[in-house]
Amino acid sequence: MPHTAEIKEIIDESPDTRTFRLRFRDAETNDRFKFKAGQFAEYSAFGDGESTFCIASSPTQRNFIECSFKVYGKVTQSLRRLNKGDTIGIRGPYGNWFPLEDFKEKNLLFIAGGIGIAPVRCVFNNVLDLRDEFKNITIIYGARSVSDLIYKQEIKEWKVRKDIKTVITVDPGGETAIWDGEVGFVPAVLEKIAPESENTVVILCGPPVMIKFTLPVLTGLGFKDEEIYTTLENRMKCGLGKCGRCNIGNVYVCKDGPVFTYAEIKKLPREF
Amino acid sequence: MDEKIISRVDLMKICKDVIDKGNTLLTPGAADYYVVKDISDIILDTSALPSKISHKSYVFPRTEPVLYYKRSKNDVQLIDINIDSKKIVILGAKPCDANSINIMKHLFNWDHSDEFFNKRANNFMVIGLMCSHFDEYCFCTSVRSSPVSEKGSDLFLIPVDINNYALKIITEKGKEFISPYSGYLKPGDEKNSKLITENVRQPEAAFDSSEVYEWLGENFESPKWEGVGNLCLSCAQCAFVCSVCHCFDITDEDYSYTEGRRMKNWDGCQFGNFTLHASGHNPRDIQSKRYRQRVNHKFRYYVDRFGEILCTGCGRCSRGCPVSIDIKEIVSNCNDNQKEFLK
Repeated sequence: MPHTAEIKEIIDESPDTRTFRLRFRDAETNDRFKFKAGQFAEYSAFGDGESTFCIASSPTQRNFIECSFKVYGKVTQSLRRLNKGDTIGIRGPYGNWFPLEDFKEKNLLFIAGGIGIAPVRCVFNNVLDLRDEFKNITIIYGARSVSDLIYKQEIKEWKVRKDIKTVITVDPGGETAIWDGEVGFVPAVLEKIAPESENTVVILCGPPVMIKFTLPVLTGLGFKDEEIYTTLENRMKCGLGKCGRCNIGNVYVCKDGPVFTYAEIKKLPREF
Repeated sequence: MDEKIISRVDLMKICKDVIDKGNTLLTPGAADYYVVKDISDIILDTSALPSKISHKSYVFPRTEPVLYYKRSKNDVQLIDINIDSKKIVILGAKPCDANSINIMKHLFNWDHSDEFFNKRANNFMVIGLMCSHFDEYCFCTSVRSSPVSEKGSDLFLIPVDINNYALKIITEKGKEFISPYSGYLKPGDEKNSKLITENVRQPEAAFDSSEVYEWLGENFESPKWEGVGNLCLSCAQCAFVCSVCHCFDITDEDYSYTEGRRMKNWDGCQFGNFTLHASGHNPRDIQSKRYRQRVNHKFRYYVDRFGEILCTGCGRCSRGCPVSIDIKEIVSNCNDNQKEFLK
């Protein structure tokens, strides 16, 4: 049974990506709804069905939750038609999370591509709220073009902060005349800036093709498999380990995931 | 175990009573399990093949609402579903079918309990019937079962002569069910039924399930998958006739602009869009991967997760396959490197 939530605010991040700021209709649910960075939820546009996205706001933010979605299929198109004040359904939180307590006293390297910035943003903002507990923080975020970059306002804030290193890149051909960031695919940019791999945890999210090419680069830079965390986003319907479509081998991504280390992924059959 | 003798006439009296009390009585027919309206419809044939479709839909319906919603301009009201929880008695379930609910129970109860499944499953009372006939597609003996297996039955019937059945009381649920009818029961002797169960013809074991388990673990990338993948039409009839396949889809259905319901529908892993992401990426993009998933899920993943094989050996999937893919043939040829899955 989903909870109903009101759309408090709509932020147009890019021509095809939107962020909803949501508040549960029921005050009790608002207090009770707790999640950890990396977990996901099932959002419903009543009449068109449910769709799975991560929760994009930080768990330290207690008054609302946010989700960002790219308009692709039936449900996301239907969600896009909704206005401020309308109601959507939320089931969750589901899945496992990034073990932030294990990341303490370590360097953190965030790598995100495309809409993969949404789960990364959740962890990133969570980490920034607890900034003192971590050492150096670097974020590399790549999108297809400048207009496809989302969370533009927040990126500006990240860029001016002295205690984090922010690298924003767009794919070749996606830059504009006044673009002052990097140009190049995420793995290439990663290789160029070659971050320190000692005592560093990597949080990697993005399209499967980006992950596929980034992992060998990370290994080449000396990162350990157990220190590379990523999320596997498979198609899901129930989120409860029943409906049978998100599995990779005997692992249910919705229950045992979506957060996996590279070491865990290496043990899975190559089917994602 | 308690064993009694009951005559066919008395058994029919019990059936009549079940119907008269307003409960549903199911029995297998040639095509499907059907609801008995009159006891003269009951066949109780040990030599019948499994019906074309299993009784799965009575515990896990083809389509069922999980939630109703009402929309006004900005708001949505959600209305809970009252799950229909009528008592269902299955009379003469094949031993292969009798165990299917127990196998699915693991899936529907790990971590989160599916109330829709559980409510129906708990209302099931299974009276199994020994099986005395098999065809080239049957392979119950290869998947830890047999034509005289009592697994999953609450009561189990073995015909001992033309008018009488040996009635084995297997579970507490069975005992409770039969206790009001104790007047119909005569003391039985296990020797009679044992003579029958020991002599019934059984399909020869086609494969060793633990060997298949090992092989699947080592041969995820085997070229054998391609052969069967090229043949399969991805119609997913195998999943729909299967008594333990349980994958489902969740969709919304509007009656009008203001009202609608959320439905849980059967789905099948052989469909191309089963795992298709909105972005266009598909982890199981070709049929060989989807078929590999089906076999692995049944003989490896489910064993890993819940310790049971997700297959009862009824052979329905192979019997109904439009391109004659026989899952028994596939898994029994897996260890033999010389043989392709399909000859």
